[in-house]
Amino acid sequence: MYAQGQNGLMSTWREHIRSRGLAAWILAAVMMGFYVDLYWFDHLEPLAQALGLRNRWFLYGGLYCVLMVVGGALYLRRHGNSRYNQIRISVNVLVQVLLAFTLPYVMPLLGGKEFYFSYFWPLKYDLLLPDTLSKLPLYLSIYALVGSLIAAPILAFFFGKRWYCSWICGCGALANTFGDPWRHLTSKSTRSWRFEQVSIYLVVALVIFMTAVAGLGGLVGDAHPGFVSFAGQTKHVYGFVVGSILSGVIGTGLYPLLGPRVWCRNFCPMAGLLGLTQKLGRFRIRVKDDMCISCGNCSAYCEMGIDVRSYAQSNLDFTRAACVGCGMCAHVCPRGVLRLENRWDLNADKDKQHLVVLDF
Amino acid sequence: MKFVIIGNGVAGTEAAIALRHRESDAQITIISEESDHFFSRTALMYILSGQLSHRDTEPYERDLYARMNFVRVRARALGVDTKGHQVRLAGGLDPVPYDRLLIACGSRPRPAPWPGSDQAGVGHFVTHQDLTWLERELHGGVSKAGPAPQADAHLAYSSPDSPYRVRPVAAELRGRLARTGAVIGGGLIGIEVVETMLAAGISPHFLIRERWFWPVAINQDESTWMAQRMREHGVHVHLQREVERFVVQDGAITAVRTVDGEDLPADVAVVTIGVLPNTDWLAESEIQRQQRGGAIVVGPDLRTSDPDVFAAGDCAAVEWFNGMRRPEQLWYTGRDQGRVAARSIMGDDVRYKRSHWYNSAKLMDIEYTTAGLVDFGFDDMWSWFLEETGTVRSTTRIVCRGQRVVGFNMLGRRWDHRVLIRWIAERRSLSWVLDRLQQAAFDTEFVPRLRIPDEKRRQATQPA
Repeated sequence: MYAQGQNGLMSTWREHIRSRGLAAWILAAVMMGFYVDLYWFDHLEPLAQALGLRNRWFLYGGLYCVLMVVGGALYLRRHGNSRYNQIRISVNVLVQVLLAFTLPYVMPLLGGKEFYFSYFWPLKYDLLLPDTLSKLPLYLSIYALVGSLIAAPILAFFFGKRWYCSWICGCGALANTFGDPWRHLTSKSTRSWRFEQVSIYLVVALVIFMTAVAGLGGLVGDAHPGFVSFAGQTKHVYGFVVGSILSGVIGTGLYPLLGPRVWCRNFCPMAGLLGLTQKLGRFRIRVKDDMCISCGNCSAYCEMGIDVRSYAQSNLDFTRAACVGCGMCAHVCPRGVLRLENRWDLNADKDKQHLVVLDF
Repeated sequence: MKFVIIGNGVAGTEAAIALRHRESDAQITIISEESDHFFSRTALMYILSGQLSHRDTEPYERDLYARMNFVRVRARALGVDTKGHQVRLAGGLDPVPYDRLLIACGSRPRPAPWPGSDQAGVGHFVTHQDLTWLERELHGGVSKAGPAPQADAHLAYSSPDSPYRVRPVAAELRGRLARTGAVIGGGLIGIEVVETMLAAGISPHFLIRERWFWPVAINQDESTWMAQRMREHGVHVHLQREVERFVVQDGAITAVRTVDGEDLPADVAVVTIGVLPNTDWLAESEIQRQQRGGAIVVGPDLRTSDPDVFAAGDCAAVEWFNGMRRPEQLWYTGRDQGRVAARSIMGDDVRYKRSHWYNSAKLMDIEYTTAGLVDFGFDDMWSWFLEETGTVRSTTRIVCRGQRVVGFNMLGRRWDHRVLIRWIAERRSLSWVLDRLQQAAFDTEFVPRLRIPDEKRRQATQPA
């Protein structure tokens, strides 16, 4: 069918489930209910055992893989005529299926440790705590430390935070496969941007505080039992609010109503930190001068709520901390105005001579 | 100072914004019959298919009018009283007085000349109201993103000859949605409607009078290539076929009859044979218009024959890069003309002048970029042409006069028109350009680069 080959977005607002219809509300309620049950009850354990999976978290992981693979196939049917989309989504899903499901399942069977190579601090908030590190083999501790504190920001500096958020991360993988049909629902309002700027750096501050406190707690050890218990509580509260409610129940449960990147945009501390690195680095979206027709496709399909059009129609190259580099703005532009790039000198190559000559 | 602007399209709105930036106390009134908000007309097809909501297509947030303190009047202008300095309005509204007037009322669709074109099921695709009509024919109504804001607010202040009225809907007479469709006229709007019909599950007949699709922009080789792409998508492309009349049953059309006597079944027919300056309403006014087409005559400062009246955008006959005087029906030229007109209105000694022609478009899934002269019939003009097959399907045509490159016509890939125009201005040779073509590439990441075969590269030095 033509509409899928060329542009799978054509029917967006003519489908109930993509237009905040009743079906979307029901799906959101079911998804939120699922996360509540997953996090705080063990109804899913028997099913996991029956399927031969170690526990309900592997059942969740398996389900996650199925949704990513099926959603990824549908994504490619919608946007598969873009090479960037083909490669990006394939890599992202493959990384998740291998590194976040298969390997952690297989490693303990071979006598190793259950370890997730695709997660880093601060997304995996307890990764750098002395408790966690001390239980890891040396090479994994080094991997966790170097990956989180050195490799991740360096890669974000050179390639933008997309290297993680749109190529590796599990939240990104689910958002861009299963969640892709709702990407237009992310709010583009100025209010939502203000909220994001406060909320995401608040979580960044929280995770740093939590890590510092817990790290200190580990170091002082038995000398200050009061402090150790405070550190434990801090970690517990952070895990409950950020790890479970914001990333799972709200972040994923609300896909059909608020778009697939609620967590990534507003709360993910990893996205927050990498976004700051991205602002200083080489990644940007380049705009061809005087070619934008202000149609609004780029803004409408930005899953991070960036009003891309406001830059495109003003001939401004730009780098926004929020941008996860999914490439959809460039893909949906009917005039080929936008391009994702990793390079220096923002706006330096602009032909300053305006294409319309004003004689005075 | 009282500024009045007729039209809140891109020329009118950009002019209003430019005026406000300089004149914070002036009274700025925007008269529009079509819509409450400035929207991107080029995005109408996306609202029709359901890809965008109305709000998505509005380039500025809706508080623009309040923020900029623009007064809006939603009514049809019936004429300009240049002596009394006022604009007459329909529906018995008081005339609007002005010190300086900008007419930026855009285009209207060129009417269909064939019998039956006043019947239900025949329409155009230029205005918000055309969108409403076609939404009802193809989908039974608006998408879940909702209707145009205040779609009918102008009805009491309109007139029967207005292009901003919803056409009669055949689907409602017939009691079922359109299953077959025809698009008449092989231009850009035509192919947009074809695309939205395909998205609605209709394989339309595409009737093109000329020998090939879009002859003003692409040549026969490129068009043959385009027609193949369209046929792959299920479009019935009819070249060199003219319409005789519409076949009508019970007030609604059922087919398009061609001059060679064939009836092509069509529950809905969209006539896309171009646009005309929307200036009929100026018939009684003392503002000079072109004999042919009726575009408003303006000087290089965009002033009309009346010193206090200016015109910009699709309704104004501006001077082209080659000296012709006619409207430039493009988005970015409308925007630039609006900005120049605003400065002219404020008394700056400013001129509107184009340097090089360029444009881009998307023809279904085919991207199109053009820059410079590509078809202006000089004797020494020739084309270097490359068709690419494989992962990326594209055509590249570089037009030369002698060895000098004067134009580019590119289908299937993205190019940076700024680089192409610079090469034309720098009078580069074809060999020079072919050696550096990659510098102008604007494809997204991972798209394989265009490879120029050696024998094609050698053709650069021998004019065809």
